[in-house]
Amino acid sequence: MKVVVRAFARFREVIGDVNTLDIPEGSGIQDLLIALAARSGESRDLLFDEEGMIRDNIIVMLNRRRLARTAFALTVLSEEDEVAIYPPVAGG
Amino acid sequence: MITITEEDFNSGVLIDKARDRQVGGIVTFTGIVRDDGITAIDLEAYREAALQELGAIRDEALSRYDIRSVDIIHRIGTLAVGDHIVLIVVGSPHRKDAFRACEYIIDRIKETVPIWKKEYTADGSRWVPGEHS
Repeated sequence: MKVVVRAFARFREVIGDVNTLDIPEGSGIQDLLIALAARSGESRDLLFDEEGMIRDNIIVMLNRRRLARTAFALTVLSEEDEVAIYPPVAGG
Repeated sequence: MITITEEDFNSGVLIDKARDRQVGGIVTFTGIVRDDGITAIDLEAYREAALQELGAIRDEALSRYDIRSVDIIHRIGTLAVGDHIVLIVVGSPHRKDAFRACEYIIDRIKETVPIWKKEYTADGSRWVPGEHS
């Protein structure tokens, strides 16, 4: 299935603005982050720490609703979902 | 009115629009690019989500405080020192709720609205770190 991944700020500079990823049915947010990390060493370092844990400063929105970190492992993605990945915000 | 725009704004026009017969006070917050030794900043937004979040913050403020109106304009794009970044205008029957609501709104913007700043200096550039993860 295809999902759209959008990245912003520092994450956009590494991952790219908009990506369409083809991932297996039943994949979750964690699987998506692993797929993104596999694309380059820089992506991996951005998303995962040395112990392979998802970094603390990653914020994920699914279809423009923010996901709690505890939901990363539980959320199953669907065809055409829009996932946004970004660092802590700094507007205002 | 909730707006994300590359254009500058005229605070006076927005302040006048907040007047109505039940409004006894209008409080504004204007965020401006400060000279921290920078040459420019770039503001980037996840525009659709940021508009949605700004609308949610306005609705929260309207339900928490005794206020009549909330207007928020946030700029994006390349800005210079002294340029406007953000304007919040709160109209209320009484001043205390207007001040409290205005502070609540800017604090919430800094916590949750997906907007980022990249600062440019003579030596290069850096993303301004967010305070809330």
